[in-house]
Amino acid sequence: MFRSIYLKSLRDYRVPILGWGLGLGALMATVLVAVPTIFATPAAKAAVVSLGASYAWIAEPIKIDTAGGYATWKYGITILVVVIWPLLAGTGMLRGEEERGSLDVLLAAPRGRVRVVLEKLAALWTALLIFGVIVGLLTFAGGAKLNGEVTLGGTLGFGINLALICAVFGSVGFLVSQFTQERRTASGLTAALLLVAIVVDMVHRVVANTEWLSRLSPVYYYNLSKPLVPGYGVNLGAMVFLAALTGVFAGAGVWFFARRDVGGVVFQLPSRRPSSTRALPTSDWSLRSLYARSLGMITPSTLWWTLIIALLGAWLVIIVKQTETQLRSLLQGSNYFAQVIKLGGTDTATNEAILSALFLFLPILLMAFAVTQANRWSADEEEGLLDIVLSTPQPRLRVLLVRFAALATATIFISVVTLFAAASAAAAYGVTLDYGNLAAASLSMIPLGLLVAALGYLFSGWLRAAFDTGLLSFLLVIWFFISFIGPSLKLPDVVEKLSPFFYYGTPLIHGVQLGDLLVVVAVGAAALALASYRFARKDIAV
Amino acid sequence: MAAIIEVEKLTKSYGGTRGIVDVTFQIEEGEVFGFLGPNGAGKTTTIRVLMALLRADSGTARIAGLDVWEKSLEVKRLIGYVPGEPALDRNLTGGQILEYFANLRGGVDRAYLKTLIERLDLDTSRKFRQYSTGNKRKVVLIQAFMHRPRVLILDEPTSGLDPLNQQEFDGMVKEAREEGRTVFLSSHVLSEVEKTCTRVAIIRDGGIVRIGGVHELNDIKRYEITITFANPVPAETFKALEGVTEVEPLDHGHGVRLAMQGSADAVIKAAARYSVVSLTSYEPSLEDIFLRYYERDGQAPKEAVGV
Repeated sequence: MFRSIYLKSLRDYRVPILGWGLGLGALMATVLVAVPTIFATPAAKAAVVSLGASYAWIAEPIKIDTAGGYATWKYGITILVVVIWPLLAGTGMLRGEEERGSLDVLLAAPRGRVRVVLEKLAALWTALLIFGVIVGLLTFAGGAKLNGEVTLGGTLGFGINLALICAVFGSVGFLVSQFTQERRTASGLTAALLLVAIVVDMVHRVVANTEWLSRLSPVYYYNLSKPLVPGYGVNLGAMVFLAALTGVFAGAGVWFFARRDVGGVVFQLPSRRPSSTRALPTSDWSLRSLYARSLGMITPSTLWWTLIIALLGAWLVIIVKQTETQLRSLLQGSNYFAQVIKLGGTDTATNEAILSALFLFLPILLMAFAVTQANRWSADEEEGLLDIVLSTPQPRLRVLLVRFAALATATIFISVVTLFAAASAAAAYGVTLDYGNLAAASLSMIPLGLLVAALGYLFSGWLRAAFDTGLLSFLLVIWFFISFIGPSLKLPDVVEKLSPFFYYGTPLIHGVQLGDLLVVVAVGAAALALASYRFARKDIAV
Repeated sequence: MAAIIEVEKLTKSYGGTRGIVDVTFQIEEGEVFGFLGPNGAGKTTTIRVLMALLRADSGTARIAGLDVWEKSLEVKRLIGYVPGEPALDRNLTGGQILEYFANLRGGVDRAYLKTLIERLDLDTSRKFRQYSTGNKRKVVLIQAFMHRPRVLILDEPTSGLDPLNQQEFDGMVKEAREEGRTVFLSSHVLSEVEKTCTRVAIIRDGGIVRIGGVHELNDIKRYEITITFANPVPAETFKALEGVTEVEPLDHGHGVRLAMQGSADAVIKAAARYSVVSLTSYEPSLEDIFLRYYERDGQAPKEAVGV
């Protein structure tokens, strides 16, 4: 595997290919296996069809009463979370190596720049193809007992279509990284572009006569193919277009890379230089203490995440207003819907009940933010950034707890801003809500975020950053699975109680559920205590 | 004088991989002590144990009478530290980094800090990621010296510095010694240790093989001289000379490569009798020296001797 840059790069991708491929494939297979249970009665099937129409803004419901149609609708845009990996791979392909300095060595080998980068791109695309095939095969295995309703061609088409949208955003990330000095910045910008693309695609399903706008989004072309839906198949033109987009973005990235400095960017803005090159900063708040520095380090990413989570919170409130009428009738008439939004509340047909179901996306995002911050803590130790800090008279325990305190501050900030954004949107659009419960729903996210962070700090006591992040992400997926798919599979209560979402409950309807939240707080505190114990005794950066 | 650093039978392994084994030495207060060893010998492991970044499997390490692990906080108040790999926040400027670490140490003499910045000619306005290797090293050196610590623990401190700044660094170490402060510096370059230190310990394969005054290095010190002549010169001319341990004729008698130990006076005088085109001197790496001194002679690594 070390015979060429292509094979070496492919080898580097082996863990994510298997991780994401098997994970997503298993998720799709599980849904297809569960379909007969979900469609157990004609009434349940009818309820799903009604529900699909109401949630059309998330995913277009086509033949939702079939296994393939249901699976396609159920994951809709949420399946695009899988794009995160190729996005990171694309931004890190050159910029990551430039940050580590390893690209200098690689380019010292007798290989042209363009060839080096093309081999790396080819490895990423091959990895995505393998990923698509794994997803396709597992999805087919899941639908094997559905009397031929799910075909191998269809599931492979589904996997390849997914691989194509992944390749598009991988290439976008690669292109963006030519313009940024840091891989993290490129990843953040590309993630923002992904979100914009998802929203732009959504617009035509919410607002009439706006399909022209949605056509600007690559996600629109991904959605044109629905290979799992019987009789719908793939839109070959759209798939070719996605492949062409991948080529264009990647080609532009290669073109820029061939012309820029290694370690530099395409356009270097003139930097503002201080009057003295010997001066020391005297009024920088973020340098005054460990806590201030920890906060300063996470401020930019916190602001980005705040923007995303708060805007989503406000947008969900606005969406509720638009779908209120349809959903109210469903809530009253569908047992199935009651089951699906079990976590969101079933006993009232109010705006809170509707919003409660949607609002669950927010703690997931906050927990994802916590995963990124736990990763950063772990990576800082691994990269030796703590060595000099720990050579100053600062106790190890303080170094860890202060960093956690800064993260807690950021988490509280995000939750409070989300509360104000949602409340402002409710007031502006005339959505009747209990503001006390809205506060409970927003602020109850905090313990969930801190639980994830504490677990990340704990795992970092033994694991390297990549494995720490992988394990945390895996836990998030498992918890999501238990709480959102578990009810369909009729998992035992004791299993449902393993997910923090169970303890988050339905604050938008029932207010603060203090007992449940205390369970999360207690587990988080125990994890943090163990993390502190371990950090105070462990070898640093070994 | 009392020992300020006391290391006794210090052992550290990484799982099944060897780190250091039974490392023992003492450093007097006010000494500049060199810690010499080839790459991978265990220098950084020893230093990271002293800094309480690693926990020893067995043995003890004390600084100013304080156990480095149990009393790490008190110990770190006394220390300035330069790690082997300068890793700092890439997005901060050199000035911001120094300001931050000054604050973590409860403030420093800013006039002295500015003096250090000027002496090492550091541009504090650039971000750490924009610095060259040498400039990164300067930032780390300044943060180690800026609070005038009682003990300086420096892991290969001059790696990446240009000769001018190496000279400035030598001056800083000399001043520290004159002020009665202790310097413990590791290196894999014999001449650097020879220039700066009063005593030296040599570590190899995780164990101390020799400790003594820096002048005692002479018996292991080797260097090579290559002389090119205008006309052929018999190699035998140099064989019996003082300081010459090996002679290798080059280019059909037009040159000679000499393995040397000690003074080159006799060689220079002998060469001066002929028409010399060029003369170059080369100091082999420590690993080469060890290979010759400890292995070619068929000797096992010596036990630590002298203090």
